[in-house]
Parts: sequence; C-alpha cells; structure tokens
Amino acid sequence: MAAKVISPIKPRVSQYGVDPKYVTKRISDYPEMTSVKLKELFADTPDVIYPSEKGIAAIRENVIKALEKVDMSMIKPGDSVNILASHHGFTLLGGEPYAEVLKTVREVIAERTGATDIRLRAGVGLRFRETEEYIKAFGLDVAFNGKAKGVAPIDKGIPIETEIGTLYGIAAVYDADWIVHVHNSDVREVHFHRHVDRAVKPFGMSYARIETRSTYHQNLGPRGANFTARAIFASEFVQSKFAFATFMNMSPAGVVSIEADNDLLALNEKITADGLRYYGKIMTLLGEIDECIAGLDFPAPVPYVFAAGVIFANFVGANVDLFDLDNPLPPYTWYTEAFYDKSGKPLIENVPPVNPAIKMVVHNYAWGGYPSAFFAHQIPTVVVGREQADLMDRDPQNLDYMKYAVIARDLDSAMAYAYKVAKTDKVIIFDGAAGGLNCSESLAEYLKAKAPEVSRRVDQELLPKWLRQRGIDPNIFKK
Amino acid sequence: MRVVNMLAQVDYDKCIGCQTCAKVCPVLAIKMENKKPVINAEMCRGCAACEQRCPQYAIKMVKREEPFTVYVDPSTVDAEKIEELCKKARLHPEQIICYCTATRAEEVAAAILKGAKSPEEISLQTGVRTGCKVECIEPILRLLEAAGINPEKPDGYQWYGRTPTVWEIPESVKEKYSSRGFYFEEDIKLLDKVLAANSSRKEDK
Ligand code: SF4
Ligand code: SF4
Repeated sequence: MAAKVISPIKPRVSQYGVDPKYVTKRISDYPEMTSVKLKELFADTPDVIYPSEKGIAAIRENVIKALEKVDMSMIKPGDSVNILASHHGFTLLGGEPYAEVLKTVREVIAERTGATDIRLRAGVGLRFRETEEYIKAFGLDVAFNGKAKGVAPIDKGIPIETEIGTLYGIAAVYDADWIVHVHNSDVREVHFHRHVDRAVKPFGMSYARIETRSTYHQNLGPRGANFTARAIFASEFVQSKFAFATFMNMSPAGVVSIEADNDLLALNEKITADGLRYYGKIMTLLGEIDECIAGLDFPAPVPYVFAAGVIFANFVGANVDLFDLDNPLPPYTWYTEAFYDKSGKPLIENVPPVNPAIKMVVHNYAWGGYPSAFFAHQIPTVVVGREQADLMDRDPQNLDYMKYAVIARDLDSAMAYAYKVAKTDKVIIFDGAAGGLNCSESLAEYLKAKAPEVSRRVDQELLPKWLRQRGIDPNIFKK
Repeated sequence: MRVVNMLAQVDYDKCIGCQTCAKVCPVLAIKMENKKPVINAEMCRGCAACEQRCPQYAIKMVKREEPFTVYVDPSTVDAEKIEELCKKARLHPEQIICYCTATRAEEVAAAILKGAKSPEEISLQTGVRTGCKVECIEPILRLLEAAGINPEKPDGYQWYGRTPTVWEIPESVKEKYSSRGFYFEEDIKLLDKVLAANSSRKEDK
C-alpha cells in the first residue's frame, strides 16, 4: 500500500504506558484512513523549520542564531546556571527537537560565558519519572556531563514571596546563580491556561511545588489562575536569578522558529499572539466536527494525545471557543470537573457539556499518570487489550477509569464495536502525525469543506477578539 | 473514597538510607529504623510517591492480595456542620477536591469533624493526596484552617503552607493586571455562584 497516511509517533518504552510490544496495530493502519495536511486545510499555515529536509540541524542552527542577540554578560565563568525544561517539550514531534534545543543552549552558554557548572533541571507534570526517562532516551545526561536531573513537585521546596502572598517553588530549580527558561509555545492545556501568559506558565507549574499547583487548580478560579505563574515570575527572587529564555515556537505543522530574549514578557507577547494565530484555525475547525469516533494512539496520558497539534483534552472542549475568555468554564478543566454534583448534574448552569460530537473513544494506546476518569465517565470508551486496562487499574490516579470503560480483545473488535455503537464512519486519530491529521476519508472530506469558512471567521472575527482580551495590539503581526 | 490496591516494598540491597521516601510519604507510613526505611503496610495508601522519588529505584509497588477502601461517610456527621465548615473554606460541600479519587469537600470536612487534625490524618482516612499527590493540598489546608486547626508541619516535604485564594488578591494587583487577560473579578463571581448552589444532598431530603 502506498504511504497514504502520515506515520504516527511510535510507542515509547515508559513506566507510564504498556510495553510497545502490546501495540500491535495502529488505528491509521486501516484502509479507510487517510491524512489531511494542514496546508490543504489552511493555505496560510506557516512554513516550518522542522520537520524539514535539513533535519535536526535546522534546530541547532536556529538556536545559535536566536541566541546571538541575547545578553549573557551577567553569567561569569565561575557561576552556576540551571537550564530549566519541562516534560511536554519532549512529546512534540518525537521529542528530538526539544532535546536539541536544550543541548545547543547549554553549549552556547558554555562557549560565550566560560561557565562550566551548567545543569539541566527538567520539570514534570504528574508522572514524576517522566523527564528522567527523556534525559536517558535523548542522551541529555551525557550532554550535560551528568548534571541533568528530573525534578518533581513533591521534592524539597522553597518559599517565594509574591505580590499575592507566599507561593512555593522546587528548591532544585533555583539552586544556581542563574536560571535559563527553555520551553515551547505549543498551546496544549489551553483549557487550563486559556492561552494567557503562555510563556510564563511553567513558573507556576513545571518549576513549582504542590502548594502552587494546587493554588492554580483550586484557589484562583478557572481564569484568574493564570496569574499564579506571573506572580512567581515577577517576584524579586526569580527576577534576581533570571538570565534569559529560549522558545521552540510551535504551530500544528511543526517548529516555526526559535525565539530567544532576555525579556520574557516581550517574548511572551509574541508567543501568545503566534499561538492564537497558528492554532486558532485548527482548533476552531475541530470544533465544527458534528460526529466522530476519537482514536487515542500516542505515547502520552489520555488528555495529552495529539491530532494536528491539538491535544485530546482540547478536542473534548472544542464545542466551546477555548480562547474566548468570555466563556467562564471550558467543558473540561479540573474546575469544571469539580462542579458536577454527586448525581452527575452540574452545580451551576455555566458548566458546558463535553463535546457532544465525540460519540465514542477507542483507546488503542495511551498512558496513565494523569487523572482521566472524567473522560471515560463522560464519553463511552473502549480500551484495547487487558494490558492497557491493568495499567490504568494499577495507577493511583486512575483507579476509576476502567469503572466506566469496556475492554476489547484487540483493535479490530474495538473498531467494529465503535462503528456499530457510534453509528458514524468519521474517525479522528490522535496519534501525533506531524504536519497533518490522520483520519477517515469521510472526516477528511468534511474538514476540507468546512475549512474556508473557519479560516475567514478566525481572521476577521475571532483572532482580533482573542488578542484584545489579552491586551495585545493586533498590529503585532505587522511588526 | 479510595481503593487501596497497591503496596510499597523496599529492596534493601539497593537502598542507601537517604530518607527521601520518608520525606515524601503523604501519610507518614515510612519510618526510618537503623537508617533504613520501614513501611507500615496498614498505613500505606499505595500512592507511589516513595517509588517515584527514590533515587536508587529501590522501591516497587506490588499488588495487594486484599485491597481495601478508605472512606469517611459524610452522612454520619451533622450535615449543617459540614455545610458550615465548607462554606467557611469557600468550598461547595459537593465539589470534588481530589480528581484522582473523586473525593468531595464534604468527605474531608467530615473527616475533620470526626477528629482528623492534619493533612496526613485526612489522607489516611479519605485517600486524598494519595493519587496524583499534587493538586489537593490547598483545599485541605483551607478546610483545616476553617475548623480552627493549625496543623504542625511534618519533618519532610509533605507540605509547606496555605497559599492565597482569589478572594485575597489585593485590589492593586487586580487593577495592574486585569487588562492582560487575568479575569479575577469574573472568576470570583463564578466561584461565589458555585458556593451558593443548591446541592443534590439538600434536594434529596
Ligand atoms: S503511602 Fe505512598 S509514599 Fe507512603 S509508603 Fe505507601 S506508596 Fe510509599
Ligand atoms: S528513598 Fe530509596 S534509597 Fe532513600 S531511603 Fe528510601 S528506599 Fe532507601
């Protein structure tokens, strides 16, 4: 068969997922599946530097170029430097580009400043060994001369005085003279951060202790919460250590550019605006889907599997414009999940239902390590294979996931069951295909037909509104 | 409510006695004896914090032969008192505060009203903080504070202290940042609406 689908991301060996040997068939293997390139949907999809013919060398080259305009004179030869990273960067495009950014930033700092004590501090979400796995897989331990470690939110903490009171960071993140923030602009949990202060977010998350994360998720409200990260970043303590930031600027099609700046807030403005521009159309288009089966087939926890650069959690909320801050609650965040009462009814009328277009989920391959019972509770879910089910049952965060899901012996029977029950032949596959989207032919046709109107609506109505809500001048794109 | 189906086990050949496991255990089930960790199987809630942080990979999680459930039944406590405590902490009694175990504020309030005096005791009795181990510490500290309890911080990294809520954000901060997409006032309104919502518990009566 000719290569008519884009290759999905390969299963990865991880303690959070099943052994790759159990992933015997991918949803994209079926003859009724095809691919749509983002450029086919939206002609203004930006060109990318990666994936490209140049391969990983393009990343290196662009990091070096971006760092040329960054001032590193504050770092003296005897100083210690912590390069701060986050786990999510490693799930983009197989992880290699982000690892390359980290290695190159380290080399440039060493070369320009003469500093030798340069360490990697890689933060995690709720899977505390995840970055340790990436450090090994991408040779970051070797690249950092053994000075690379994963840090978790239950590790030793450090109080940080902020404008709103005391918050807490992870001590190991701040145990150097200087910190360098290396991240990516993938919109990812837009359901939580609502794409406000995107570039600052890890200060309230990957680099933060449980108290701070709990503040974000339980104390400040679904939109006010974004301030947690800004409060920490703006603190005297963090400002006294902050050297510069480097970002892998993402679009659903790949890495658009590498951006670096001493001024994180200036970079934040660009990253935030680019995120709205690059992801706004595909997110809005996915929200137009009227009915489908969603296939999960990617090495990440249920909410974090990807299709066309969009994570499943955001597809679950695609019936609401997640970028529009006038919508108080998206269909999925922990604030939303919290506001269903014991009988399963929302406590207040502002709780939107999860995307009614998703008729069924086929969980062919997705990890544990993130509380995902809400998804199985809200959407009929069929899990492929006993091993995936056992994995969820052993996971302290997912003791109830299988309470709401059924198990199919193999992918063939899961798909047959899904087609029969969901009564649709439209399938969208969250398998991390780069530059496009793997889906059924029927859905591909549907998306192509809807795309021009979505494109017009985003350009003329939505994008200006999203920018306005974040205090960003729409002329930013002309600069 | 939490099903406890796993148990932590130490491989003493690998252990170097660093104490990390004892410092992160949310229920204080690990005691160091002769510089080696000893796990109290009855107390262990199977959260895997120790397994996830041991620098030597010396701890593994094993299936329990007899899983059990921990739960504090709110109906065994005066409903008005639960309501009052939750309200003071600005939490709706029925709102979920632990997403891993779907534990609601009322269960934690019930545990406190029945005598639990620290996050550790609450976790032992309800299972909160033994799923993701990250997200539910603040509502617990808020509920304890509302009950007038000032728990003593354990000698580890279990927790440091209560942090601000949206109701406490200074006006000057709101003014400075509200044009940048931080919707403080609007979120206060939304959360107040949740607080004022009727609960199915009341309707059932
Ligand atoms: S409760 Fe968690 S940290 Fe404590 S012994 Fe059990 S698994 Fe380890
Ligand atoms: S964390 Fe590991 S090495 Fe350290 S005391 Fe516990 S079991 Fe031993």
